[in-house]
Amino acid sequence: MMPARSALLSALAVAWAMSVCLGSVSPAEAQKKGGTLTIVRPTDPVSLDPQLETTAPGAWVYFNMLEPLLTMDEKMQIRPALAASYEILSPTKVRFKLRPNVKFHDGTPLNAAAVKFTFDRALRGTPPARWASLAGSLSGAEVVDDLTVDVMTREPYGPILRTLAMYCTGIVSPTAVQKMGPDFSRAPVGTGPFKFVEWKTNTHVILERNPDYWGDKAPLDRVIFKVVPEEGARMIALQTGDADMVLLPAPAQLAALKRDSKYVVHEVVGGRVVFAGMHAGLAPLDDVRVRTALIHAVDRKAILENILEGSAVPARGVLAPSVFGFKDMQLDKLYPFDRARAKALLAQAGWTPGPDGVLQKGGQKLSLSWLAARGRYPKDGEITEAIQAMFKEVGVEAKVQFLEWATVFTQFRAATLNQHMFTLGWVTSNADADYSLYALFHSKQVPPTGWNTSRYANPRVDALVEQARRSLNQTEREKLYAEVQDILAKEMVWIPVYNTKEIVVTRASVKGFTVHPVEYNLWLRKVWLDK
Amino acid sequence: MAVGAGVIVTRPAAPATLSADAWQRFRRNRLALAGLVVVALLVVAAVGAPWLAPADPAKQSLIEKRARPDNKFLLGADEFGRDILSRVLFGSRVALLVGLLSVAIALGFGLVLGCLAGFAGGWIDVLIMRGVEILLAFPYLLLAIAVVSALGPGVLNTTIAVGIWGTPTVTRVVRAAVLAARESEYVSAARALGASAGEILRRHVLRNILPTVVVYSTLFMANAILVEAALSFLGLGVQPPTPSWGLMVSSGRDFLLVAPHIATIPGLAIMLAVLGFNLLGDGLRDALDPRLRGQV
Amino acid sequence: MLTFIARRLLLAIPVLLGVVFVVMLTIELIPGDAVSLMLGEHATPEAVAKLRDYLGLDKPLLVRYVGYVGRVARGDLGRSIQQNRPVVDELADAWPATLELTAAALVISAALGIAAGVISAVWPNSAFDALARLGSLFGLSMPVFWTGLVLIVVFALWLPWMPVGGMGSPAHLVLPAVTLALPSLAMVARMTRSSVLDVLREDYVRTARAKGVAERLVVAKHALRNAAIPILTLLGLQAGQLMGGAVLTETVFAWPGLGRLMVKAIFARDYVLLQGAVLIFALAFVVINLAVDLAYGALDPRIARQG
Repeated sequence: MMPARSALLSALAVAWAMSVCLGSVSPAEAQKKGGTLTIVRPTDPVSLDPQLETTAPGAWVYFNMLEPLLTMDEKMQIRPALAASYEILSPTKVRFKLRPNVKFHDGTPLNAAAVKFTFDRALRGTPPARWASLAGSLSGAEVVDDLTVDVMTREPYGPILRTLAMYCTGIVSPTAVQKMGPDFSRAPVGTGPFKFVEWKTNTHVILERNPDYWGDKAPLDRVIFKVVPEEGARMIALQTGDADMVLLPAPAQLAALKRDSKYVVHEVVGGRVVFAGMHAGLAPLDDVRVRTALIHAVDRKAILENILEGSAVPARGVLAPSVFGFKDMQLDKLYPFDRARAKALLAQAGWTPGPDGVLQKGGQKLSLSWLAARGRYPKDGEITEAIQAMFKEVGVEAKVQFLEWATVFTQFRAATLNQHMFTLGWVTSNADADYSLYALFHSKQVPPTGWNTSRYANPRVDALVEQARRSLNQTEREKLYAEVQDILAKEMVWIPVYNTKEIVVTRASVKGFTVHPVEYNLWLRKVWLDK
Repeated sequence: MAVGAGVIVTRPAAPATLSADAWQRFRRNRLALAGLVVVALLVVAAVGAPWLAPADPAKQSLIEKRARPDNKFLLGADEFGRDILSRVLFGSRVALLVGLLSVAIALGFGLVLGCLAGFAGGWIDVLIMRGVEILLAFPYLLLAIAVVSALGPGVLNTTIAVGIWGTPTVTRVVRAAVLAARESEYVSAARALGASAGEILRRHVLRNILPTVVVYSTLFMANAILVEAALSFLGLGVQPPTPSWGLMVSSGRDFLLVAPHIATIPGLAIMLAVLGFNLLGDGLRDALDPRLRGQV
Repeated sequence: MLTFIARRLLLAIPVLLGVVFVVMLTIELIPGDAVSLMLGEHATPEAVAKLRDYLGLDKPLLVRYVGYVGRVARGDLGRSIQQNRPVVDELADAWPATLELTAAALVISAALGIAAGVISAVWPNSAFDALARLGSLFGLSMPVFWTGLVLIVVFALWLPWMPVGGMGSPAHLVLPAVTLALPSLAMVARMTRSSVLDVLREDYVRTARAKGVAERLVVAKHALRNAAIPILTLLGLQAGQLMGGAVLTETVFAWPGLGRLMVKAIFARDYVLLQGAVLIFALAFVVINLAVDLAYGALDPRIARQG
């Protein structure tokens, strides 16, 4: 996509140099300034304040208004944002030098006090921020001078820089927070390239260009985020021109859209892994042969091709490739789709075919209970049904119970889980393996403390993730996480199905947009409209 | 039910030939017969599905997803490559269950409560009506979740939830009909002749509100199937891989623009079933209408 | 009559109190906790406990109920758990949209439904009758998201006459109102047909006809007036159902009404917001039922006499 776009840009630059009538844009700029970008997505935000909202609907919007100290570019590299430079002073302290002459949308200056205020509010506010538990051992910030701030952690914390590059750690204006009180959640004030205009609940949120932005001013005049819950209606809005950009488009239509020159499908591998989890503490899944057989029974390729239809990529492990510390677990090599092997393994484990085709051992049927919700993650219900049918082909009966998410979530978070299987998705919010491997596989992170819903327990893995968390040596951490994933690969407690793709469909007139592997990072600052 | 305007009519006691009379009328009504045929087909489909269905309704073939109707899949295949014809046939079981059981529940409770309220009046009426208002204002989704958490998921319990949801409406309709009937001349006449409340209720009121109730029930059936569809889609109804027409339409809507047959065919099945019940209901109503006695 | 109204409005209070209690109790009994759901992946036990304490959610049910009722009496509907925003504001955002959509759908279904029903009754088993019955059954059986999406495809995509969704101009109202009205229209048409048919078979109608009264007059003066009661009952009920059942229509057409708000609240177990919405519905039902009962009285003096 890149070469075509730069060619287009050059062509337009020439055209621009010759055109007269499109406003005060200097001939050197290829972009056209102005215009309103209309974006449609399924849900309204709960809040525009990271204090209260860390999910995508709010994040997509406030990502363009609030800026953190650091940021991650599309290659998942850490780049400076509000901090011009940083220096690791000690295993528990990082010093940041802020950019000078940066102002909040309300005119007040960005300074170290604002950073300290943001972190105090998040970590020690009443109540603390939603993202406080994402921040690991972040403990706060200290003002050194007006443009220098020290960020501290309680103990050595390897993921500290990635944590500070998270979308939800944007610095807020202390003056605005104190003046507006709870209304700040509906109209945040930050330093970003766009500022808030209006939020009509369940209808739209409107942003406009920040003319005093410290960096390159955004080409767009306005951005409108509209709520369109029905997938079919979103796609129709794109076709009629009611919308310029669709978030969460319909997978079934992607192939056709890619062939149509009126639209551009932007996609990149994202950060969420959706999987069928197994309760390793509940017989018969405590037998690793049975678990292995189950993974062999699943034709992941068929699911990817026919249910997800290119809207996702096969999962290559328990982590997404964009996560620091990711190792490809070679699942296709270790656990290829092989019904014969699955049946053989189950036979080895003592299961023989019963009269109705379902395997049985000692008078007990190989019947697994499965709890899932529909619509929490893309195609989660369909994947569950497909795997249920695939299990049947090798003689395993899966009794699926679909319930609404609140009930399912409550059961997942309970101290005991009475289900053999569950369908879940997991995104590594700070793109650092620590966030996931610790919470998902440490033996002490069983719910409700953590997210080790599979009840996996391996002392070696425990030791490795603990060590990797405390080290600030990123090379060492990578090696440790690689070993963890090697061990996990031999005793899989998940059937990883897919890795999301962040897919955004735009009309061809929308230029300058690059989709980011982290779903919350919706970069609109370089977008311009060729209309 | 209508109220006369100053005309006194005496009605003879119900003749023993009522049912013969009713059946005569019913037979002549072609639309009603058509309705009976459709309902009979529905029952045949539900009972005979294992023999009539060309394929296993749960058997998936992902590679043949969304297949158009052809030789292998007479009505096409759904998003999992499952045969839609087989699923529609098996789905008739859920449709019958939901349609009949939920109506039975709503009718059962609604008739009792409506008659009580309309006939007894006074504070019983006030109490029941306020209870109805509370239930009407209660969100049905929450009701379904509550029933499912108490009784567990599955189509039977969802049907119970739908039945409970339908009760307030039936209660009000019945009560209104009873109120009107109770003021009618023949009831006053019967009272004057010394008939007891129970007799009046049974002989006159019930018989006269029957048409309204029958028509409303058949309409409610369609509603019930659709409510089950919405609830199944949210995960509170049938559990996979059991097919239900409502769920087939719900999950087929994502493909409406690329493979409309997935959602439309089960939708047509719903329509056909509803049509059958409605024609049958209308026919029954006409047949049982005491004032048509002697007419054709 | 005024005492009747006053009494009924007074009786509304226990209904409202009752509904709120039942909702609160139900949320309490079903699995799911608003705070854990909100915090989602970041739901550590300490975070959950802290937030619940801050929001006062760990007080016993009766304490919360009494506190809530007290605040409502003072006009304070509390703050939503999810957004910590006054429920009054949240409802004010959504209520007008719901009112507009429900009113439009009710008008369409009443006008078209009664008209079709009357014609069907006057010429029963005619071609029009058959067509009307089939057509209305179609509207009744096809789920809202099917009819809605089809209408959008036809009238917004193929024929660019209507907008795809959202609220705004009167044009935005047409498709959602029609979609929402279809099932209700079918019911009204059928009930009207049934009721009017009943009346037309009454002896006094035969008498009127025998006396030589014009057919039109027979229908209008006698039939409709007497058939009105069950039709009115149904319309009253439809008004309530249209309000409560609009969530699917709102979803398909991105209509920012109370239906979607309530479903979101239920899924998030945000009972404070839910109760506020339910209170509005309950109040609306009470008013509608009152209006219907008053109309009974107007149409049939004997019913009014015993209140």
